[in-house]
Amino acid sequence: MAIKFEHVSFQYKSIDNKGYLALNEVNVAIENKGEFITLIGETGSGKSTLVQHMNALLTPTKGAMNIFGIKISSKSKENKNVKFNPIRKQVGLVFQFPEYQLFEETVEKDIMFGPKNFGVNEREAKKRAREAIAMVGLDESYLERSPFNLSGGEKKRVSIAGILAMEPDILILDEPTSGLDPRGRDALLKVFYDIHTSLNKTVLIITHDMNTVYEYARRVLVMREGELVYDGDPVKLFSRTNVDNWNLDVPDIIRLKQALETEFKLDLSGTIRNKQALLKRLEELLS
Amino acid sequence: MKVVIGRYVPGTGFFYTMDPRTKIIALIILMVATFLIDSLMLMLIAIGLIVLLMIVGKIGIKRVYLGLRPLMFLLMFTFVFQVLFNRQGDILLKRTVFYSPLSLLLGIGLIVMWLFTKKFTRFKLFYFVAVIAGVFYIFTELGDLNPFAQSTLAIYEEGLFMAMFIMLRLIIIVTLSTILTITTKPTDLNLGLEHVLKPLKVFRINTEDIAMIISISLRYIPTLLDEANKIMLAQASRGVDFKEGKLKDKVMQIVSLLVPMFIISFKRSDELANAMEARSFVPGAKRTRLHVLAWKTLDSVTIVVALLALTLSITLRIWPWI
Repeated sequence: MAIKFEHVSFQYKSIDNKGYLALNEVNVAIENKGEFITLIGETGSGKSTLVQHMNALLTPTKGAMNIFGIKISSKSKENKNVKFNPIRKQVGLVFQFPEYQLFEETVEKDIMFGPKNFGVNEREAKKRAREAIAMVGLDESYLERSPFNLSGGEKKRVSIAGILAMEPDILILDEPTSGLDPRGRDALLKVFYDIHTSLNKTVLIITHDMNTVYEYARRVLVMREGELVYDGDPVKLFSRTNVDNWNLDVPDIIRLKQALETEFKLDLSGTIRNKQALLKRLEELLS
Repeated sequence: MKVVIGRYVPGTGFFYTMDPRTKIIALIILMVATFLIDSLMLMLIAIGLIVLLMIVGKIGIKRVYLGLRPLMFLLMFTFVFQVLFNRQGDILLKRTVFYSPLSLLLGIGLIVMWLFTKKFTRFKLFYFVAVIAGVFYIFTELGDLNPFAQSTLAIYEEGLFMAMFIMLRLIIIVTLSTILTITTKPTDLNLGLEHVLKPLKVFRINTEDIAMIISISLRYIPTLLDEANKIMLAQASRGVDFKEGKLKDKVMQIVSLLVPMFIISFKRSDELANAMEARSFVPGAKRTRLHVLAWKTLDSVTIVVALLALTLSITLRIWPWI
């Protein structure tokens, strides 16, 4: 297990000392290879707080976590000798807004910033910048441009490239597709899926888009008021009772399938995750 | 946050119901009165009156003390400076100071010891005074150990008097302004300031704009702090360790925080300007207020009392001890 949370709770401090319980007794384990996970939940349910624990930006107020063999407890005394930086190299976290991290004069320098912080030399960092920019689907001419003159989608890609160049074992993305047009969103999701399949890395995505959840993920985590209420297969998640319990949107493909079943009395049983699979099934039935 | 100056603390008591204009004007009048006082005795009476005012107004003396704490260094500095360099009046104390290698070593050792152990004691002020006395003893009494230089330390009556006088004056001024900021919300303070500054319109200074600038800056302090925190987290994800690092790395760390900070602030101000324009904000146009300030009897009484204090201090300045 690369990441293991045991009864992790986190309370935000506030002036009136009441505090806000953002995480409540979360138990979760994540492999360092081959997982594609989506994390869903309403705003304020503790999704971002949870992922910020995964690379030790925040440490639990109760419970313990183990990230790549490094133990982090809720007691600040025990965490004193813990080196947090190696964790951040292994677990790459991309924040929702690229504006919070872009600062260099050129895109290339900005992408190189992360690797260089972890002791990678100049030449290797340059090489990684070229690889990373290609991975996120931008061509090399972007390397010489200023990160502030890019469009929203391009900034987002550059910020993701900045984390990819650190070559983390686990890649976590906080709402990477928010504010993008449908085509850009699909292209970016494809990028993450390719990283997952070609490099066999674990990718975790926070999203509000149920279609993404249903089509790509084999595992889905559902947060609700600071608690992890579901951890498992997305197909089971979208059964009637769960959808009612947690106010979830139903993915388009399931709606289409159900409509076809009731209108035309077609037998579409079995898991159909995307359009292609549905079309294939329909062709089978017609022939 | 440990800084108490300029921080509103919710509470009850008559200071809270007072009009912000009254508080600002009274503060100015009382400050002038404080500067007119020229005897230590009157200064002590003034301090006594302020403490009485705080008790009646239900303001914790501890809070005001916390407000004074960041100024301790300044107070100490002016005190020591006055005591050592003001050479008027009778000599109170005269000692020869010897500088020998051993006494220098002992003195520095004692101060270093104080620096490292002051965290662990509960009687910080007492400990500090004891260390100062110790250093004084080392330099004045242990003079027989081959001194390579010597000088005279003399404390004059006037020096001690002036030192205490200036310290008390500073304490009074800071206490008065702390009372104002503790009991007035930043928005009310700003509104009061706008009204008080109105006469400046004669000089073609647009006080409404100044007030608007102040209130927007106050509004955005927590937002920007929040933003800075998010940037720090995002950069920490990229391996920036804000706690450690060499000097060269530190510069880079600060740049990686400041550049996004600037860009986000400019973006925010641009968005705010658009939002204000979308709601038909015209700079300098006549506007009505949501909260209209109302002048009460309490306010008139306060101003009259403050003016009385001013007249009294002027009178005592012209005819001391009538």
